[in-house]
Amino acid sequence: MRYDVAVVGAGIAGPIIARNLARAGYDVLMIDKKAEIGSPKRCGEGINIGIFEKYDIPYDRRFINREIYGAKLYSPSGYELELRYKEVSGVIIERKVFDKMLAFYAARAGADVWPRTEATGLIRKGGRIAGIRAKHEGEPVEIEADIIVAADGVESMVARWAGINTYAPPHEFDSAYEYEMLIEGYDPDLIHLWFGNEVAPRGYVWVFPKDEDRANVGIGINSDNPQTAKYYLDKWLRENGIPARKLLEINVGAVPVGGFVKELVKDNVLVVGDAARQVNPMHGGGMAEAMEAATIASRWMIKALEEEDMSLLKNYTREWWEKDGKRLEKVLKVRRVTEKLTDEDLDLFIQILSGADAEKIAGGNYGEVIKALLKHPKVLLSPRRIKLLKELL
Amino acid sequence: MVEKVKIVMDEDRCYLCGGCAGMCPTLAINVGPKWEFFLDRCISCKICVTACPVGALKAVPLEGES
Repeated sequence: MRYDVAVVGAGIAGPIIARNLARAGYDVLMIDKKAEIGSPKRCGEGINIGIFEKYDIPYDRRFINREIYGAKLYSPSGYELELRYKEVSGVIIERKVFDKMLAFYAARAGADVWPRTEATGLIRKGGRIAGIRAKHEGEPVEIEADIIVAADGVESMVARWAGINTYAPPHEFDSAYEYEMLIEGYDPDLIHLWFGNEVAPRGYVWVFPKDEDRANVGIGINSDNPQTAKYYLDKWLRENGIPARKLLEINVGAVPVGGFVKELVKDNVLVVGDAARQVNPMHGGGMAEAMEAATIASRWMIKALEEEDMSLLKNYTREWWEKDGKRLEKVLKVRRVTEKLTDEDLDLFIQILSGADAEKIAGGNYGEVIKALLKHPKVLLSPRRIKLLKELL
Repeated sequence: MVEKVKIVMDEDRCYLCGGCAGMCPTLAINVGPKWEFFLDRCISCKICVTACPVGALKAVPLEGES
């Protein structure tokens, strides 16, 4: 069979590309190895409220578990910093419904969608990549396509088969473990984040409420840590006296937190989302980044097909790096500084910020945050802390 | 010299999350509907063993095996 575009992976980036290309009138096939699109998730399910309008996604109550008004941060010794907004700032979605709806929007726009279809290799003809080989319920399928999209997640094979280097060292990944569970005692209108080198090395523990008494409770730690993510989450729950007996889901995954893929295109193959390591390296969220990359990629794919000139696809690499790549490289710099912070630093910084102008901090004025920290005597007396903070400016 | 190992997966623990496959520098692991290991590509770096969020992977020395 023949399509203009073959998309491998029906997570976030895949369906958005499939939808955009189908809307533009092209023949699109999207495959996914899972039998049920959206499940199992590898995600905390929190996302900024702005994405719905920005990426033309309906604000559909069927996948919105709860609206969130801000965040609360906890330092190792228990200092707290609360950032609360008057308006909804984000939502906790239900990935197994969200992803399926994204695939539905793609299908409704005209794309063909096949779950339980695993890509097994590339079809090469006369020195060019002519399509993908796949397996559907054990039956081999050959899909010829002008453009192939590797949206096949952290474990992406398609991009690597095409010769795109997606390798990143293990330190540039987080290892994550999460329970969806019943939990009480945490303001369900806020997301809650705990920091500390004993709590979650390099990462954090999160409580993302899906109901008043139900939340995703998870952890991300550096993947080169000798202990497992599960070990640290179970330890945190135990030490905080939180019973983990009413569990609804257990979710596991690796999260790229750096190592953004340099060349996002090889001939007629594009890589997007987790497969391209397009994830915010500070908080490990990658849904918005996948949407942004998918949007940029879609535009250049449409142009390349319109003008029958595949060399135009390269512009996706250029535009992504100019826009989101540049931003994420800055975030990565912050991640590299924050992972040097001691527990005392974290205590001190959260303590200082909780007494600072909360509105400025909540407004996301990053420079103000650093300035507020730099003014404090306990920071001024420590050359090491000054050096760390100045690296962030 | 790096001790040559093979990677063994504990099916009762593995969630098929694919993290090991994503981090493997040599495509020696593939995670589809099932977990697959390709000994000929493995360089015994054990990145996958350390990275597994649930400790489902084990490196078994090859020495003494034929």
